[in-house]
Amino acid sequence: MMVWIVLLAPLWGGFILGAERKIRAHMQHRMGPPLLQPFYDMAKLMQKRTTIIHSGHALLALGYFVTLWIAVGVVLLDGNVLWAIFIHLLASVLLVTAGFSVPSIFSHVGANRELLAIVSYEPILLLLGVAWYVSSGSWESGAIALGGTYWTSMPLLGVALLMVVLLKTGKSPFDMAHAHQEIVGGVEVEYSGIFYEVLYMARFLEYIFIYAFVFLWGGVVAVALFFVLANLIDNATARLTPAQTVRWFYALGLPLALLNLLGLVA
Amino acid sequence: MKWFRQWAQKSPWILHYNAGSCNGCDIEILAALGPDYDLERFGVLNRGNPKQSDIFLVTGPVTYRSRERLVELYTQIPEPKVVVAMGACTATGGVFRGMYNVEDGIDTYIPVDVYIPGCAPSPQLLIDGMAKALEIWVQKSRDIEKPHRLFGGIRKTLHYLDRRTMAQTLAQSKEKEPQ
Repeated sequence: MMVWIVLLAPLWGGFILGAERKIRAHMQHRMGPPLLQPFYDMAKLMQKRTTIIHSGHALLALGYFVTLWIAVGVVLLDGNVLWAIFIHLLASVLLVTAGFSVPSIFSHVGANRELLAIVSYEPILLLLGVAWYVSSGSWESGAIALGGTYWTSMPLLGVALLMVVLLKTGKSPFDMAHAHQEIVGGVEVEYSGIFYEVLYMARFLEYIFIYAFVFLWGGVVAVALFFVLANLIDNATARLTPAQTVRWFYALGLPLALLNLLGLVA
Repeated sequence: MKWFRQWAQKSPWILHYNAGSCNGCDIEILAALGPDYDLERFGVLNRGNPKQSDIFLVTGPVTYRSRERLVELYTQIPEPKVVVAMGACTATGGVFRGMYNVEDGIDTYIPVDVYIPGCAPSPQLLIDGMAKALEIWVQKSRDIEKPHRLFGGIRKTLHYLDRRTMAQTLAQSKEKEPQ
């Protein structure tokens, strides 16, 4: 079953994104777009004429998408959690390289913010992996899942993970990397047509990747809870600046993760 | 691509450009995107990026300083694209018509597909204009596909030959018909 989830990952991610847009619209007393809206967008983007800046720029977007898919495969198909985190890091670095490879100021600002985002969430994800190793004795995601849920042993890491979910899925207090009306989408500003579609589907994969971590932490209940909570927080808060975002992660997220890890070891 | 076209028209992303408007039209656009009228239920998103937009929604009479940016934004939108002129000023210059710093409507610079009248147009009118723009958009994407039809030349020739044979047969049969 997991193989099918990995092979059709963009499809499931599209459904998740569609459901999210629907839920967010209902939270704002709107009807919202239909559930299949991400797929309509994809069909539209396939029809548009594609303009590329240079081939390397377009290729890096493809590389980002494929690498991210591999990371999703590693975490879902009983792979090493550390591998998944670092392959995901490689994918993000490809995206940052793409952002710096074009002479566009918004693209550069977006790439800078992407780097700041990596600096913010990466230590927490690594500490989460270490905490799983400490409590279940294995780096493999299958063994971690068999070790039960971690609601009681890692509550503080759960809070930190919620912050990472907000950042990775581009939710409001921490959405500085993809700030749409501020830096016009950041790294994705120079993409159009089929290559923007690749980035659009990569966003679905980011959802699957980070919610796979949530699933490992607390099962299906945690995924549903984090999904609703993330959208609630997104609707209720305003965007923080990049410096404030990094400060939040290093002043709240990282200490919480470290405290929890110390508690597990002691 | 017919199958895709049905889907594609459900996702118009707009690029909103204020070419010197008094903000009345812009507030109506925001009202249409808000909970009361909810344009997003038709898949409309306000992108703010010309490279990923389909519908160019312009408000305001084009001021002298904004005309270059208007044309630049228009050229940056990839085809198929539709231009919607929102409000009286955008169509004709409105109350600013004839002023020294105003260019009297956007159709002096770029081709316009839909004019939405009113000062400012109500959100209902905007939704009507969007529906019209979608029709034109579908037609434009269909027109783009036309030259790419495989074996188009051969089919055309065969069609012509077929018509000629039919015409000859018809003429012969008419000759044979008993009067």
